[in-house]
This record gives sequence, C-alpha cells and structure tokens, in this order.
Amino acid sequence: MYRWLILFIAIAACLILGLAAGEHWINPFAAHSGLDNTILWELRLPRLLTAFAVGGLLALAGAWFQVLLGNPLAEPYVLGVAGSASAGAVTGLMFMPESAWAMSAGAFAGAWVGIVTVMFFAHLGSNRMLLAGVVLAAFWSAVLALLLALLPEQGLYRAFSWMMGDLSHSDIPVSILLAAWGVALGCGLLLARALDMLLLGERHAEALGVNVKQLRRRLLLLASAVTALAVTAAGTIGFVGLVIPHLMRLLFGSLHKGVLPASAIGGGLLLLLADTAARTIIAPAELPVGILTAIIGVPVFLFLLLRRT
Amino acid sequence: MAALLTLSNATVKRGGNILIAGLSCAFRAGEAVVILGPNGAGKSTLLLALAGLIPVDGDIALHGAALGDYSRSELSRHIAWQGELPPTEFGVSVQQRLDLAAGEAGGDIAVGAQDMDIEALLHRALGTLSSGERQRTELAALMLRDAPLWLLDEPTAHLDLKHQIHCIQMLKAQRAQGRAIITVLHDLQQAMAIADHLILVDGKGRAEYGAAQTLLNSATLSQLFHAPVMQQGAMLIPDYGEEL
Repeated sequence: MYRWLILFIAIAACLILGLAAGEHWINPFAAHSGLDNTILWELRLPRLLTAFAVGGLLALAGAWFQVLLGNPLAEPYVLGVAGSASAGAVTGLMFMPESAWAMSAGAFAGAWVGIVTVMFFAHLGSNRMLLAGVVLAAFWSAVLALLLALLPEQGLYRAFSWMMGDLSHSDIPVSILLAAWGVALGCGLLLARALDMLLLGERHAEALGVNVKQLRRRLLLLASAVTALAVTAAGTIGFVGLVIPHLMRLLFGSLHKGVLPASAIGGGLLLLLADTAARTIIAPAELPVGILTAIIGVPVFLFLLLRRT
Repeated sequence: MAALLTLSNATVKRGGNILIAGLSCAFRAGEAVVILGPNGAGKSTLLLALAGLIPVDGDIALHGAALGDYSRSELSRHIAWQGELPPTEFGVSVQQRLDLAAGEAGGDIAVGAQDMDIEALLHRALGTLSSGERQRTELAALMLRDAPLWLLDEPTAHLDLKHQIHCIQMLKAQRAQGRAIITVLHDLQQAMAIADHLILVDGKGRAEYGAAQTLLNSATLSQLFHAPVMQQGAMLIPDYGEEL
C-alpha cells in the first residue's frame, strides 16, 4: 500500500516541480502576473499533462506487448510502428513543410500503415509475429533513411527532433490524451485476469478458459492504437515502454491489476520528469526528451534490479 | 457408466505428419488411462487434442457434444490439463500460479500446496525453483481445478522418488473419488500401478486402445519401444543387460 502512496506523492511533487521549472522559474503557489499565469496554466500545465498521458500510454503499450509476444524485451515500437510513424511524419514534412500538423497527420497515418501490415502476421503466433515485426521495423528504418536523404536540409532539424521525442508542440489536445489514458487503463484492467493467465503461456491460458485468439487480437489492436496515439503526440520516445513495466513488476508484483495502473502512472511520471529536465537544463533551448528518459530511467531500473536480485 | 469423453476415428497430426490414425475409445469417470509410446510418437499431441487445445481430424465428444461446441471457459470447467512447465520470464510466484489455477470458485490453495509439499515455496518466483519444484507446483495447480477429467503429460517427470510415489498415490486417490485420469507416463511400474486401460502409440500412425491387463506384457512393450522389456514376477522391467 505504501508503494502506491509514494507513487501518488511523486506525481504531486513532479507536477509542482514541472510547473515551477523552466527558463523562467515560477513559484506556482504565489500570486502571479498575467504573463506568469499564462506560462503556468496555458503552457506548462498542458505540456506536463501531455507528457504524463503519453508516458502512461507508452508504458501500458509496453506491458501489453511484452505479454502478447511472451517476450520481456518487447516494447511499443517492437513491431515497427515507430519506424512507419517516423516515415509518415517525414513524408508529411517533405510534402507540406510549412504545415503545422502535417508531421502529426503523417505520423498517425504511418503508424496505422505499420499496424495493419503487422496484423497480416498476427495469426502466425507470437514468435513469428515478433519476427515479422522486427523485419518490418528494419524495412521502415530503410524507408525512413531514404526519406531523410531526400528531405531538404531545412527540414532535417525538425525531423530529427521529432524522431527523438518532442513534446513542445503536440497537435493532439491534452484532454483527448488524458481520456485515452483513462480508457486504455480501463480496458487493460478489464483484461487483467486474462493477461495474468497469458503469463503462464498460451496453452496454459487456454486450458484455464481464456479465448487466446480473441485476446491476442484485442491486445494487438489496443496496444497498437495506444502506440499510434502516443507516437503522433510526441514522436518516438524510447525506453519508457520497455523498462517501466519491468520496474513496476519489481515493485508491485506480476499481476496486471497492479502492473497496469502502476505502469500507467509510472510511465507518466518518468516522461513528465524527463520533459521537465529536457526544457530546463539548457533553457531556453531544449534537449530531446527521449535522451533523458534513458538517462533518468536506466540507473533507477538497474539499481532496483540489483537490489531485488 | 456413460463416457465423459469419446474419440471416434480420430487422427492426430503434427507438422502435417500423421502420428495417430483412426483412434476410437471412451474415457469414463473413476478410470485411469495411461498413454505409452516412444519419444515423438504423439502422446503429448494426443493429450493436447483431448484438451481441445489443437484441432484434430475425426470426432472428440465431451458428454456427447463435440469439443468445438464448448467455449474455452466451459471446457476449462470440464477438463484440466497439466503439460509443459510455464515460462518464468515475468516473475510469477508460486502463490500467483496457484491463484490463477484455482480461479474464483477453485480449491483451497493451502491444501494443494500442503499436499504437494510446496508450502515453503509459495512466495518464491517460479524462475527460482528447481524443475522438480516447478513440477510439484504444476501438480498442486492441477489439484485446485474442480474438473472431472484430468489430462497429465508425464506428471512424474523431474520428481524425486518420494514425490513420484506421492504423485501416483494422489492420482490413484483422485481416481477412487471418481475423477477420470488420462496420463502420459514413461515408467512401466507407474503405468502398472495406475492404469485401467492403455493407449499404445508407435508414431507411425498405429494406436491401440485396450485393457491394461491385456496390453501390459513384455512382448507388446518390447515391440512398441523396440527395446527389451522383461517380465519378473508381476513386474515389467527394462532389460539393461548383464550386471558388471
């Protein structure tokens, strides 16, 4: 129980820190000028909530993909969705360089092209689907490299900053992202018991009464939709989806009624913290948030791994 | 007594190869059937087919209705399957493994754990156990299932002598309580201890179903395994040759 309490206290502390920190430090509890109010509530708060929702969605998708594929190394981008979304985003940038939303629209379309391609291999079972996903990821990386080679020089910075994760101008309203976070977590909890049984392997799950084919289809769709939304909102942010579910298993046990809510919160927390650091350390410039998720998350995870072992 | 499960002209395949062709038999409550045969003959595959976990040519009926007419959750209430050891990657504990087997209306975990001598292991992760301890966990998980038909794939594999004996005694007790038991075994003494009927499979399509008294003899088993089996009194033992 105290672990949950710590998680909730950490959210409150990180939200306050996130509101206060930036190029211009502001005390969120003090009386403010009009400009400070705008910075706090119209710029920083939506961005913090976007980071929280995207981080949570990535961690949920990671937890689902790991169980779906029976592979602890799986993460949201394992089936090539990041590559296809990036290729879509760069295509959008190439054809509509002046448009504010072309990259997001391209990323969303690209993510779904990647998902639908993988779906053709879903009936082959976990291992072959994973193999197909890894090969497709290599294919999309090649397509992306080709597009980047053809992209005019002035578009390269935007393309690279998006590819390393960028929460500075998400085109998806924060309310939609938070609603998606809630819906995804709710759907996950409805499937929690079946997911627990899937931890024992597909045959054991079926023998215990789970319709594994149906569950796999639902999980694949759910995890893919969540990944597509997250990647559209913030570009490709690695590490959160891989490590947060494992971290939460270490802290809360293997069963999904604990792992899923803890991952949804823990993933949010990590990205919120990483984004706060990303826009503060070299302010007014920004670091790519994907770099910081790894720099913050890797030592924490390794420390816990050593302690638990 | 009416049959729980019946096979009619069932053909079991693996990778397109026919392992068992045209097998017909019936399984009844309070009866133990042992499946014997060489490695790769299709014993485990037959169990998977009986559990409805893989498709089969021919008919398998549970209480007179085709297996395919039952939903997975309905089947799980009738048939409990003990097969391969579950994966250990995700840190599932023994207690959680048993919880998942017991379900909402399942048996008492403490009783199952005590019976299989794993009470002290409840909080350990499956990945930290020996193969024998994991096998005992699987047997405890099976004991928590209220299904009238048990399918077991080499339940004494990995077990030490004490727990092998306990496992066979437990299966005999379950049979006496009216449970139908279908199990793959390799040990001939264990098969003799529990089998009412046998299914002999040779991996070349041939399968024979019959009473244990008729089929458990040195000639039949030597032919089945292509290995010398001797009869010594009431015992059937492999012939390891002259003592050194």
